[in-house]
Order: sequence, then structure tokens, then C-alpha cells
Amino acid sequence: MKGLRLYIPPFAPDQSGAAAVLCELGGLIVVLDAGGCAGNICGFDEPRWFGSRSAIYSAGLRDMDAILGRDDRLVEKIVKACKEISGSFVAVVGTPVPAVIATDYRAIGRMIRKKTGMPAIMIDSNGTGLYDEGEEKAWLELFKTFAGGEDSGREGKNESEMQSPEEKASGRIGVIGLTPLNLGGDYDLDSLKTVLAQVHFDRPVFYGMGAGLSEVARASHVEKNMVVAPGGLAAARWLKDRFGTPYEFYCPPEILPEWKGIENRMAELTGRKVLVVHQQALANAIRMKIIATTDSPVTVASWFQMDRKEMAEGDIALKEEEDWIRLVDRGGYDAILADPLLKRAVPGYQGLWMDLSHFALSGKGIV
Amino acid sequence: MTKKEAYYITAKELSQAGKEKIPDQLVSGRHLIYSSPATLAFNSPGAQGFGVKRAGLAIPGSVMLLVAPGCCGRNTTILSELGGYSDRFFYLLMDETDIVTGRHLKKIPEAVSRVYDCLTKKPSVVMICITCVDALLGTDMERMCRKASDRVGIPVLPCYMYALTREGRKPPMVHVRQSIYSLLEPRKKKSSSVNILGHFAPLTDDCELYDLLRSVGVKKIREISRCGDYEEYLAMAEANFNLVLNPEARFAAVDLQKRLGIPYIELRRLYQIDKIRNQYALFGGALGLQFDDREWYLAAKKRVEDFYGKFGPITFSIGEGCNAQAFELALALLRYGFKVCEIFADPSDEDFIYIKKIADLSPDTRIYSNLEPTMLYYDLSDEKADITIGKDASYYHPDGASTEWSDDVQPFGYTGLIHFFDTCEKVLHAAGKGGDIS
Repeated sequence: MKGLRLYIPPFAPDQSGAAAVLCELGGLIVVLDAGGCAGNICGFDEPRWFGSRSAIYSAGLRDMDAILGRDDRLVEKIVKACKEISGSFVAVVGTPVPAVIATDYRAIGRMIRKKTGMPAIMIDSNGTGLYDEGEEKAWLELFKTFAGGEDSGREGKNESEMQSPEEKASGRIGVIGLTPLNLGGDYDLDSLKTVLAQVHFDRPVFYGMGAGLSEVARASHVEKNMVVAPGGLAAARWLKDRFGTPYEFYCPPEILPEWKGIENRMAELTGRKVLVVHQQALANAIRMKIIATTDSPVTVASWFQMDRKEMAEGDIALKEEEDWIRLVDRGGYDAILADPLLKRAVPGYQGLWMDLSHFALSGKGIV
Repeated sequence: MTKKEAYYITAKELSQAGKEKIPDQLVSGRHLIYSSPATLAFNSPGAQGFGVKRAGLAIPGSVMLLVAPGCCGRNTTILSELGGYSDRFFYLLMDETDIVTGRHLKKIPEAVSRVYDCLTKKPSVVMICITCVDALLGTDMERMCRKASDRVGIPVLPCYMYALTREGRKPPMVHVRQSIYSLLEPRKKKSSSVNILGHFAPLTDDCELYDLLRSVGVKKIREISRCGDYEEYLAMAEANFNLVLNPEARFAAVDLQKRLGIPYIELRRLYQIDKIRNQYALFGGALGLQFDDREWYLAAKKRVEDFYGKFGPITFSIGEGCNAQAFELALALLRYGFKVCEIFADPSDEDFIYIKKIADLSPDTRIYSNLEPTMLYYDLSDEKADITIGKDASYYHPDGASTEWSDDVQPFGYTGLIHFFDTCEKVLHAAGKGGDIS
């Protein structure tokens, strides 16, 4: 049955993906919800939130706000907060409530810009999509707003910071798609720097994770972009169209602290039919490593966006829990690398299982 | 650039303003809601303690089907990791078309049937939890539950996780309490049987309330969390009266009074020892008898005096994320001779009884709202507390002695007060602060 989950809890939703992209950029992030969504985003899907004070707010919608469509009250609250809180932009992140009442995000965005004089990003996530969809929207809006999009003048972009493709800095690489949700909860940015330095990119710009809004505004300066998750692809394509910046779709497995352990056990995969389940950029990279070491046949499956160009023959886009159970039952895989949460649905699997954490699946316990 | 500061108001100022003029900063509906670990219990009630989902599973042998967009079920992974919950949650995830058209409703009976079939040990009840989307769609979930119940032959109950109605007449945590007692059917009353309503976990085993009730002839004291099976849960219908220990259970008690003819008496969790004693006297009066609580009263009094003797007039910082009503606890501590530098809580009308007295004893006590946007700038260097009470207060003072004081098992009465000071002493010692370890 479509949508029925008997064993596997829901994965990180689109609103969490959007918030993850924007979390570190110094904006005032307003989750357009009654309270529960903001709590789930922060308390479950955003590990950085526990260690830092982020300006993430819930709109605190109540039934009559939704029924009467009191957008003016929402804007009033946002304007009031902007006077009290230092922020460089406002981002509004959607949830199921505005989706049901068909909130006019563009109108709210215009009102916020007019009344605060600040750039505003509107993400129309609705809580039914998955995190990568929210990330995709957020990355795209972010670069369009601050790096020289059609509306960038109005959004406060500094035109003087834009450069032509000829002015790109050598050795400077933009990394798009880095969020905890795309990795395993823990991540090792130093290892990523090392990997990039080995291919002569010694000045990485980790958008959304270390690099601030000023770096987003200077996105045209980088020599190349590396997209480490499917959610970043649309933005990278836009940057390519806009500035001619080439991009590569790749996420080095070394960014996962647990990769060393898996690498040490790689020989166990020899002669086995292997299934790797993760987000596509990382899963593809792991496949390359396995094939290079063992020459075993490897299939990639993902619950999230699968870019057709990056898919190999036989790769699988998972949608329903039943798809997953059937795949494991009938696929004939001797080894599976996947998040431990997925084991719940296939307790009878007899092959070799290697845990490959994916934060968007198993999240982080807080109790 | 001027330093940004968190908004606060002193107890004196708030008392003078009165409940008619509570500043906007202390009224959650008038500003954006700040999201920090200190507000998690508000923003994501299901993530900590008993939210609607966990509470909805209070009936022994029940399971839950969450019918909602994926985002609403996300934090349930945490609950699943808690003991006993991993096999009790199921999901029917709504897509974009569902949330607009409501077509998901047609699937519910089949989904309940699939859940029932997949379980080796059959459930006693299936709870269907729905969220804001169905609140806006105006879903008649009672009807859907009847249809599902016809299909599987066991009770199916609605459970409303409507965050949108949080400050309404019947918020989700009130509704869920009514839901979980709604399966009780009229039975012959037993004069020696009493129910305790209000919490989803029991009182501490040594709570004097059990002994006091037994001392006046009560033989069976039932709490839903101590019911070993569904039959014992159904036996709650034989109670002579219900004791309501949390105001959020009042609706449920009224419902039981109407349906089953079980009257109720409401008691409050208090930390002021004289008020605890007074409450027991009034309780006894209502029953036409007198409780002999002297033994517990003296023990609690001694515990307070011993603690004060060891630590002196130390300073407390009190949050609302604990097993206490923040303003009542603050007043109790001030009356015992301690200091309270700050309270993190949005005041309700009822709290002004305490706020006026706090203002008299400690006019400069600062009152902050966890939910107010400027709490982003709360600077702990402004306040020096010796000990913090509550998850929220502990977040603001991460390095000091602190107790969350928020265990599932509930403190109450004199023993609650004794355990409170026991815990405070323990964490103060752990933080290297004075007194002898007893």
C-alpha cells in the first residue's frame, strides 16, 4: 500500500533539508508552522543546533491564523523580530499547514522585503517531500538571491562582487550540498580538504558549512563546483548556466568517519553481489571504491533523488517500504551497505550487512 | 553597536502590571517562537517526555498508526528507541495530493487492517494519530475509526496531535487524556477503588498518597501506567472516585463523571509544605474524614531544614521544563529562605497568585520567556545561580549544578518535596558545592 510504513519510520522531510542549507548563514529562519515542525527540524534533523545558537523560529501559527489566512500578523511578527535580532536575510520555510491553505509565498516575501528592507528567501516545502527536495529549493534560491540571479539587484546583491568567468580564482572550489543530513551524522571536513588538495583544489569553499553568505555572493569566483549530494545539482547547473562554472558530482567517502572501518573490511566484499544504499553522490563514490578494490558487481539504490545521468544500469530508486523489502528478498545481494534503520524491515536477511549511516534516515536521538 | 539582550521583566514589574497587562514578550501568540533546546518541549512535545504519541499509547497493548505527512512522524524514531515502543508505531504517510484532497482517508481502514495482520501478538486497541493537516481539512476521524474498527474487530480510537490548537479550549494533551479513558464502560462501583488520573507514568512508589488512601480504607488504587493489561485498564471503570493530579486531565475526569458517574477531586502538585498539608486537609474534608499526614509532614520539614542547614541561602534558577509549576516552586523556595534569581516561564492568569508573593519576597527576580525571540541573546554571565532546575534552565547555565527534575515517574506531595531536595543535594555535591554527604 502506498505510503504505509510498518517497519521504517519516516525520513527527514523537505523542510529539514531547507533549514539545513540555511542554518549557518546568519539569516533569521522562520518555519511557517504551529510549533511541532520547527521542533522536529531542530531537535532531530539538525545536529549543529545543539551546539550553537541559531536564529531559527517557529511562526507559532494557530488554527484561526490558518483558517483566516492572517498573513499580515505573520509579517508583523517577522518585522518585529527583525528589529530585535541581527540577521542578514529572512528565510521562510514552509510546512504542511501553509500547503493546505495555499499560502502565497511570493506575496509574503514581497511584504517582508518591503517592511524590513532585507532580502527574503521563500521555500515552499510542505512536509510531504524528502529532505533533498527542500535542499534543492534552498540551494537554488540561495544562489539566485545572493550570487547574481535575475532578481539579485532587488535582493541586495553586491554587484561589484560579481566577476566574469575569466576572473575565477585558480585552486578555489565550491562545495555544494554539504549538510549533516547527507552524511552520517558525524563528518570530517578535514579529510574532504585533503582529498580536494590532492586534485589541486587547495582553497575549498564549503557552502552552508563554514562559508558564510559573503562566499555565496562570490560564487562566480570559484574555478569549479563539486556537488556532494543530489540536492545541490540544480544550483550547480544554474551556476554553470549563469557563470560558466563547471561542476562535478562526487562525494568522497572519506568524509564519513566510519569509512575507515568499512575500507578495512573491503576484502569481505570480494566475490559478492553488493548493494549500496545512500544518497546518490556518496553511494556512487563508494561503488567506485568497491569495484576498484574487489571488482564485485555493485548496485546503487537510494530513497532520494537519482539523477539519470549519474545512474548506472540497474540502479534503483526506492519509494515505498515494500520496494525495499522486495529488493532485498529478490535481488540476490550477498552484501548490503546501508543505514541500520533499514534492517528493521528485513530481519531475515542472511547476507553480509555493513552499517553505512545516513542521518536523513536514522537521525539523532536526543533523549 | 549596542549589545543585544534577552528580554526580561522583574517580578515586581510583572506583579504591578497584573494579569491584564502581561507584556507581549511573555505571551507566545504575539511573537515568533524561538527554537532552542530550552524550548524543545514546547516546539516538539513528542520529542521529550510524554507528547501526544507516547501518551496515546498509554492503554496496555495498544499500537498507533500515525496518519500524517512524513515530517510529523520524524521524531518518532526517538520514541521507537525508548524501551517498548519500537513495535508499536506504524505510519501512513500522506503525499501532496492527500493533504489537499483528503483522499488518504479512504486508505485508513485497509492500513489498520494491514497493521493488525502484521502483528503476531494482536493489539488491544489501535490509536490513529492525526495532525494539523486533518485539523484544517475538518476530518471526521471518529467515523473513520468506526469503519476501521468494523474491519479489524477491536477498538480504534482517534488521537489528535493538532499543534494548531495548542492554546485553544481543548489542546492536544487534554484531548489525548480524554481519548485514553474513553474505552471505559459503566461497571458496578467499588467503594474501595480509586483511580489516579493526570500522568502517563506512576507516582514514585514511596509517595505518601498511596499510604494515606489505604489508611482510609482504599484497597485498589489504579493508575493507567501501572495497569498490567487491558483487563486491568477496563477495571478502572469500577472506581468510587477519580483523583486528578494534572489539570490537563480535568476534561477526561468530567467525561468519566458524565458517562460512568465517577466523581472526581482535583489535587495539585505543590512544593510549599504548608500548602501540601492544607491540601490534604481539604481533600480529607471533601471525603468526610481526616488524613493523618503528620509523619510525612515532619519528615519533609526536616528535609528542608537539613538542606538549608547544609547549603544556606543558595540561589536557584528555575525553568518550566520540570515536574513542577515554575512559579509555585520559586515561591516555595523563597519561603524556605533560598534565593531565586530567575524564572523561565510564560505566566498564566493563575500564576499571578504566586507572582504577587514572589514580588514581595524577591522583587528583582527576573522572569524570562523561553519562547521570546531575543532569548537568542541570553547571557549567562548576567546571572549567577548555584543550581538550576529544569531542562530549560540547565540549557542556559550549562556549567553549574543542575537537575532536569523531569523524570517520567512523578513526584508528588511530601515525598516529592523530599526527593526534590535529595536530588538538589546530589547535584550540588557533584558540582563540588558545600555540605556533607548524608
